[in-house]
Amino acid sequence: MDVSFFVQLLLNGIVIGVIYALIAMGLSLIFGVLEIVNFAHGEFYMLGAMLAYFLTVNWGFGYWATIVIVTVVALMVGYVLYEGLLASLRGESFERSILLTLGLSMILQNGAVFFFTTTPKMMETPFSYSNVVVGDLRVPLARLFALGLGLAAFGALYFILYRTRVGKAMRGVAQNRDAALMVGIDPRAVSRLAVAIGIGLSGLAGAALAPVYAVHPLMGFSFVFKAFAIIIIGGLGNVSGAAIAAVMLGVLESLAGGFLPLAMVDALAFVSMIAVLLLRPQGLFGRGVRV
Amino acid sequence: MRVAAGNRWLPAAAVTVGLVALFALPQVTGNEYVLALGASFAAMSVLSGGLNLVYGYTGLLSFAQVGFFGIGGYAAALLVTEQDWPFWAAIAAAGISAALVGLLIGYSSLRLSRHAFAIVSLSFALLCMIVARDWVELTRGSMGIPGLPTPTVNLPGGWRWRVVQPADFYYLLMGFAVIAHALIYLVVTSRLGRAMRAIKLNEALAQSQGINPLSYKLLAIALSALLAGIVGGLFVFYLTIVDPSIFDFYYTETTLIMVILGGPGSFWGVLASSAVLTVVPDMLRFTTDLRMVLYGVVLIVAMIVFPGGFGGWLQRRRIARWRRPRAPAPSVAP
Amino acid sequence: MTTLLKVHGLTKHYFGLTAVDNVSYEVEAGTIVGLIGPNGSGKSTSIDCISGFQRVDAGSWSLDGRNLTGLPPHRIARAGLTRSFQTVRAYDELTLLENLCVAAQENDGIGWLKALLHGKALRRADAVAEARARDLLAVVGLIDYAEAPAAILSYGQRKLLAIAATMMSRPRLVVLDEPVAGVNPTMVKRIETVIRKLNAEGVTFLIVEHNVDFIMSLCSRVIVLEAGAKIADGPPSLIRSDPRVLAAYLGQTRAAELDTAGG
Repeated sequence: MDVSFFVQLLLNGIVIGVIYALIAMGLSLIFGVLEIVNFAHGEFYMLGAMLAYFLTVNWGFGYWATIVIVTVVALMVGYVLYEGLLASLRGESFERSILLTLGLSMILQNGAVFFFTTTPKMMETPFSYSNVVVGDLRVPLARLFALGLGLAAFGALYFILYRTRVGKAMRGVAQNRDAALMVGIDPRAVSRLAVAIGIGLSGLAGAALAPVYAVHPLMGFSFVFKAFAIIIIGGLGNVSGAAIAAVMLGVLESLAGGFLPLAMVDALAFVSMIAVLLLRPQGLFGRGVRV
Repeated sequence: MRVAAGNRWLPAAAVTVGLVALFALPQVTGNEYVLALGASFAAMSVLSGGLNLVYGYTGLLSFAQVGFFGIGGYAAALLVTEQDWPFWAAIAAAGISAALVGLLIGYSSLRLSRHAFAIVSLSFALLCMIVARDWVELTRGSMGIPGLPTPTVNLPGGWRWRVVQPADFYYLLMGFAVIAHALIYLVVTSRLGRAMRAIKLNEALAQSQGINPLSYKLLAIALSALLAGIVGGLFVFYLTIVDPSIFDFYYTETTLIMVILGGPGSFWGVLASSAVLTVVPDMLRFTTDLRMVLYGVVLIVAMIVFPGGFGGWLQRRRIARWRRPRAPAPSVAP
Repeated sequence: MTTLLKVHGLTKHYFGLTAVDNVSYEVEAGTIVGLIGPNGSGKSTSIDCISGFQRVDAGSWSLDGRNLTGLPPHRIARAGLTRSFQTVRAYDELTLLENLCVAAQENDGIGWLKALLHGKALRRADAVAEARARDLLAVVGLIDYAEAPAAILSYGQRKLLAIAATMMSRPRLVVLDEPVAGVNPTMVKRIETVIRKLNAEGVTFLIVEHNVDFIMSLCSRVIVLEAGAKIADGPPSLIRSDPRVLAAYLGQTRAAELDTAGG
């Protein structure tokens, strides 16, 4: 077996896994704190990529400036999303929140199709064709940047969740809402922040991957469903579980695609989810929140 | 369904008139567009009726209907083209296999939670699409299975009906839709339906009264899957082709809107909204994207403002009528 | 008197606390037994346990000799143990009659097939259920609202409906969880009358309540829990003067005083 081939696949898998993780962690955070499954989550990934595309191609912003702008915009959009739409759902049934976010997803997705057409757009950056070459390994620079951004986002998220008061409050609400309320945590403020962070992570992932894959209005669609599967595998409400499961899935997909004549790589996420449900229903890492 | 004794004949008469009209339609007009709408309505109404059973009556949000629809379609197509099964047998097998799959995903995820079931049903629908597209040995991949043969139905008395004209397919699909809806109606107006409503309204209370939520949920899922599978099998022969697009999320979104607007748990409401939403959007000639955007807006507005749909509005009126001031009866202290 | 309910060694842990601690008691057939105790004493939790809504960590219980340990709630209900809930539960969209008929349907021997075939057996069972429902509605005084949706009822009326619903399946033991909490004195009296009436027809009651006066006047026996453990068990007269019970209700200060005084 060609070691470098294996390592190459591993690397690719980690990159995509880190991106999956950004999306899945945001979804998991929102579910853990608000008990809402955000159907529209993939659309914010898509919008992040779209915005990055326009900033870079139409308005000539540099790569890093684009990343920062998209992330900030995404955080703000998350804030607005919560205040405008999700806050009114507080305490309402789970089904209503799924349908509401589904409606939002339909609007965003089809609206994007209407405005931008389904033609994929390739985003060219100064380093689109640069690769980092180490021995037999070759990693496109864009992917390396995406990986770096993802890891930086992880670091930031862990810092927030484990070292700040409001982050601890978020974890508290996710674990036991009633207890958190009794201790005086303001669920509204915590929820707002959770949604902002969740959407922010999605937007960032979109911007980070925009130079790597083609940008088109339906790109969020398949990602979000895999993210659903990932949060079940990792354990509903368990943010770190989601991250680990996401990276594992990325690596698994990459290896399977490389070694097996498997055309159904996309199905792996769902097959794994079904396996987990049958064998270990609480997820690989257990629930972070009572369901 | 709750009618004052004097008006008992009115709904039955209305339904009879409606059925007669439905079956007379192809005799009155040979317009293929109208017949196609009719066939479309037949299929969509069975899907939304099944979704209403699972979500509207039993309270389980499910995205799996389209999966059962497509599984039925592929099963029927494959059994007829590859295994030379007779048409009726293939259709029956299509329904049964869909029902079995429904039981499987229901049983495995319901013991976890409703949240899990919703997500699993969604993933299941997606998995179906992926399998249809990628498992080429089984499903012929993106090209699908075209050129499905004309169904030949052996009727009692030695008659053989070749279903080939648009009117023929109209009768086939509409006929099954009537049977399907009759079956759904039978269930929801029985104590089975009452138990399902109890589970949706207050599951813990239902449990404390001896109702086993799991068995009723599985019943709803299995029945809706059976009907979706059969109509899927019929529908692909109407299209003469089955391909991965039968798993399109479009069906899920549209049937959801039909249930939401008609009112979850309202049999007639969902039937009516299915008709309206089959005919009107076509007439308005929106592009698909704009139609979906509109549906999305409808969903959001519905969830915030009127979660009960049309049926829910009727329900609130009923309650309001009881709340109007009445002369207090002596036996009732406040 | 025969023992109807036997609870033995019931134990439940909750987030590191022991919510129910090795509780054992018996309920004689035909009696009304009260279960009281200060907040957090585990009364409601122990009820949730024996009705199947909470898992237990240890212990067993049986009804009429039949072991109910570990059964799911619907099986326990079918075995003859029904209950009401602290947060009063009703099917708001259904009429009062429908609310009650639902409560009877799993216990009249009509299976799914018979239910769909609309035969004679079904019609008879439905008629019987409706008659019983009307009787019970009359007993609790809600007969005028038989065809009204339950949503229109006041809080106290919903509690009455809940009690009627527990009776529909002809249970052996009815467990009421705080039947008079948050209810005005007139309604308290009314509920007490209803319970007496139903008890006179042979139904055994186990009542969890905070309203100690209510329990003392209604029950022939009272069990007292504190911090998950049983601290007293006997007729009201004895319970009323039991120092441990007084201590539990008056709190730690008084108990400490008794301690230092008594040595």
